[in-house]
Amino acid sequence: MNEDSLQDIGNQSDEPQKGLISKLRADVEKIRIKMVDSVEDAPGPIKSIVLAISNLLTWIFWKPVIWALFSVLLAVITSAVIMELAGYNSYVAFSALIIGALRQFDRVLFFATPLIFTGLSVAFVFKSGLFNIGAEGQLYMGSMAAAILGYLIPLPYGIHPLVCLATGAIAGALWGWLPGLLRAYRGAHEVVTTMMLSYTAILFTQWLAAGPLKELGEFQWNAQTTRILETAELPTIWGNYLHAGFLIAIVCVFVVAFILDRTVMGYEMRAVGLNEAAAETAGINPKKNMAMSLAIGGGLAGLAGASEVQGTLHRFYNQWSPGLGFDGITVAVLGNNNPFGCLLAAIFFGFLRAGGNAMHQQAHVPIEMVGVMQGLVVLFVAAPRVIQWMADQSLDYGKWFSVEKARPIQPIAFALSMVIALYGAYFSFSLLGEAQLGLMFIGISAVTSVLGIVAFFLLFARNSRGIIISLIMSICWFALAVIGMGAGVDIGFMILVGLIQSVLAVFSLLLVKGVGKSKGGDA
Amino acid sequence: MKSNLKRFLRKNVIMPVVLLVVITILMKVTYDAVNDAERFYDLTGWLLQATLQSATPLILAALGGMYSEKSGIVNIGLEGMMLMGAFTAVAATYFFYDPWIGVLAAVLAGGLLGIVHAIITVKMKGNHIVSGTGIILFAGGFTTLMLEVIWNRKGMSEQVTALPNVNIPFLRDIPIIGVAFDNLSPIVYFTFVLVIVSWYVLYRTPFGLRLRAAGEDPSTLDAAGISVEKYRFIGVVISGLLAGLSGAYISISFGLPAFGKQMTGGRGFIALAALIFGNWSPFGVLGAGLFFGFLDTLQFFVGFVPAWAWVQGYSQFIQMLPFVLVVLALAGIRKSVPPKAIAVPYEKEVKA
Repeated sequence: MNEDSLQDIGNQSDEPQKGLISKLRADVEKIRIKMVDSVEDAPGPIKSIVLAISNLLTWIFWKPVIWALFSVLLAVITSAVIMELAGYNSYVAFSALIIGALRQFDRVLFFATPLIFTGLSVAFVFKSGLFNIGAEGQLYMGSMAAAILGYLIPLPYGIHPLVCLATGAIAGALWGWLPGLLRAYRGAHEVVTTMMLSYTAILFTQWLAAGPLKELGEFQWNAQTTRILETAELPTIWGNYLHAGFLIAIVCVFVVAFILDRTVMGYEMRAVGLNEAAAETAGINPKKNMAMSLAIGGGLAGLAGASEVQGTLHRFYNQWSPGLGFDGITVAVLGNNNPFGCLLAAIFFGFLRAGGNAMHQQAHVPIEMVGVMQGLVVLFVAAPRVIQWMADQSLDYGKWFSVEKARPIQPIAFALSMVIALYGAYFSFSLLGEAQLGLMFIGISAVTSVLGIVAFFLLFARNSRGIIISLIMSICWFALAVIGMGAGVDIGFMILVGLIQSVLAVFSLLLVKGVGKSKGGDA
Repeated sequence: MKSNLKRFLRKNVIMPVVLLVVITILMKVTYDAVNDAERFYDLTGWLLQATLQSATPLILAALGGMYSEKSGIVNIGLEGMMLMGAFTAVAATYFFYDPWIGVLAAVLAGGLLGIVHAIITVKMKGNHIVSGTGIILFAGGFTTLMLEVIWNRKGMSEQVTALPNVNIPFLRDIPIIGVAFDNLSPIVYFTFVLVIVSWYVLYRTPFGLRLRAAGEDPSTLDAAGISVEKYRFIGVVISGLLAGLSGAYISISFGLPAFGKQMTGGRGFIALAALIFGNWSPFGVLGAGLFFGFLDTLQFFVGFVPAWAWVQGYSQFIQMLPFVLVVLALAGIRKSVPPKAIAVPYEKEVKA
């Protein structure tokens, strides 16, 4: 079984060979080998630098990068469609987002700071085969600890912030260690326990902030503790927002990378993550490593809370975090659980947040659009096979044109049907706004729009069922036209779309019949 | 035989007896504190009714989660599906003036997100937790965005028609039960029916057997010539449908009939807790859901008895109980056994 899973891992990194791309990859590999060979006798530092650069040319490095970029691209396209459907100008929105974020790059890094920490937390734990969903709770514990120490104990400048940060990290680490111990020694699944303990922590800190540690004096809408002393604050280093927490985050990135790649502990953790049974046979104690890894992950999340409290909030507010722990999961996923990947992913999400304000001001798109985009990115990254599938299908589709040179009509008919199906889906979705036309009309337009998307993907996979579905879709158009008659909707246009679609469908159906069933992809 | 009886007693009797004792003590204490029979009846009835009301969304979502997890797919996205259901229910009711259409639309919307989760986890073999997280984020962002698009307001939508409550004649004249079980949302009654139906479907039909097999031992199911993917897909979609219904209950049948930003407030996670605490079984889910609903109500209940007002300062600890109990349950105080092949993507063997 172990060998099987190892083989699986091996197979995954070897893609099925595709003409052009495999040739390109072979060329790059040749260059890499030449590079490595040429520095065989070079002195130490130069050699290591060249080796590091040569690692950038490997497919193992490029594959996750390409996937992440494609996921972001797909998410951007999908959110542009959502924006258009909601009646916003997606071009204006995106350009406002990008320009706004570039103008205030300190804000980008400011938003990225806690995300780097929580992303690292999730990624680090993931390397040892566990999932830390409860970074949110560890973050609350860390921020609470830092806030308490920040106002209770007067310490000199320079030492105070460090003490607070350390306490925050320890508080978070303890809160992560607990589920780690439960997982290692009692078999309690860490996904559930970290999540549940995260809510426990939020409620516990809420009680602390509203009860024993409540700031005395003035009335508060939201429970809060006393402001931390000035000695405990982290200084602002750039612009109005960016505080020294960012530098600590960068240091953490390198430290985590170092622990994972260059220490015995990191090696053991990765071994446990890849194959627990094999690691145990090799003399590694998986239980100790699991607990330790969740503790370190918790410590990183605790640092996120502490640096936010010391850097910007200056006190603990009840429920201050807008889901930073959850966003850590998205950062880790987009960064492919690599420390440097996490850094880039966190900056990307910080970019979205910072640009979100500008987008809101200039294109009037609510800031929640950023949340939608983030969710979409994660959904697309979660399914690497979606991108794999799309790449394969587009390659095959391209081939279809070149192979059937004698009869390129069929691919063209399919492509046209695809375009019209997609446009039909969009058009019928926009009809959903005409609620006054009754349930029947809305129902059919909803069905049509779903059918359009299904037909698009089936046709894209060159599955002949897609033609049948676009035929059904054209019938839906006629039904819509009949219902919408005399109600001020553009029925002529509907009939036109329906006619084009049915003619195309019948045409390609005849072609398929004539040629024989085209290769049905698995949809 | 004797040991069997002992096990049965330990498994099925101890918890209810303990609960009964606790409830009796609570009632006695309440009676002493109130010292008025009439008011005591009212309070007890209200406590029962409120427990039912706040337990219903938990039970519905947890039942949904059960279908998904029994088939081997972790569904963390319940919270997102509920939120989507809650929003769609209000939006559809707003446009069509009929809450029943709202309920239908909510169920469909939940199912749609279920299909997304199913495509990613079952078809594309993606990571279940990551996909669930994506669904939560997407639903949270999308519903708040659409809230602004449709009503042009922040935070809270306009009020719509609520789902009418069911009145049962003759019941209201009985002292405690009348207050407790009369004048509830139809979804509450439906939930109880659904628990029984789910039990029957899971344990007494071929469909249920196959669904459970997909989560316990997919390769055997595959060897029997049945598609694992199909049953997992169905399981996840059912979970989406039920979570959507749960969301509809929260928005248009419980409290103000309007949609508020992030209005499910972590109920999806409490539902997951109830699912685990109920040991992945329909009646366990019912019991755990009622218990968590009771805890949810308790923090308001103490406000009605003046002698207990001080407890409200510690209400966070009451809210904490479901989460702490689940952690304890998983740590082995009470044995919780998840389906064996949960979160393991099933790859059909292919000829090399």
